[in-house]
Amino acid sequence: MENFFYICLYLNFIIMKTNFLFPYRLKYVSGILFAVSFILFSVLYIFDKFSEFEIKARVFAIFGDTGLSENLFGNNVYFNWIENAVTDEILMLFVIPFGIIYAFSKEKHEDEMVAAIRMRSLAWATIINYTILLFGYLFIYGFAFLNVLIAAMVSQLLIFIILFRYKIYRFYTIVHEE
Amino acid sequence: MKNNIKIERAIHNLTQQELANKIDVSRQTINAMEAGKYVPSTVLALKVSKLFGKPVNDIFELEAGD
Repeated sequence: MENFFYICLYLNFIIMKTNFLFPYRLKYVSGILFAVSFILFSVLYIFDKFSEFEIKARVFAIFGDTGLSENLFGNNVYFNWIENAVTDEILMLFVIPFGIIYAFSKEKHEDEMVAAIRMRSLAWATIINYTILLFGYLFIYGFAFLNVLIAAMVSQLLIFIILFRYKIYRFYTIVHEE
Repeated sequence: MKNNIKIERAIHNLTQQELANKIDVSRQTINAMEAGKYVPSTVLALKVSKLFGKPVNDIFELEAGD
């Protein structure tokens, strides 16, 4: 119990003291990979005909259902291998990690004002994201709500990136006043 | 919070960019501080005061609303 307390204290110390950000040199690469994989994911999701390109594979499922059956709960599997189309999984494996790296990598001239702008953008992105989600929750019903949930997987990250990039752009293009 | 960084900068004959380089921030940050749009951290305020050789209170001043 005491050990656990010290571990928590140590973790807290790390989180509080280190302003962790990915290095600047990863910014462009991760940005491009994020954009490409995000566009591909959207295309795959919006246009049904792209489902022809789906890659089938055996995947490990902690929980999964293997499709429709007469019994609604009949085909659930736990901790087992199932057959699944993994195109979207592969794309998500790019979208989320590279999105995080792009969103939280250092700026070229990282200083405390940039950190303040990042903090403000993150707060606003959270508020805007949950406002949209709440709106979707209240006014979208049935199977269409699944779309809201899928959008929610990346919406906060995306809103944050757009907001932060815009604010940084504005910050760097302030009229020169000498 | 008010400050007279701009005046001090003129006395020391520094451009925004030169001051920014000396205290390791971007020029835009200096610009935002001078315009009163950004309140610097204690560390940054102390760096400015050290550079200009004046107490922090002579450069930064509380306003009525603070």
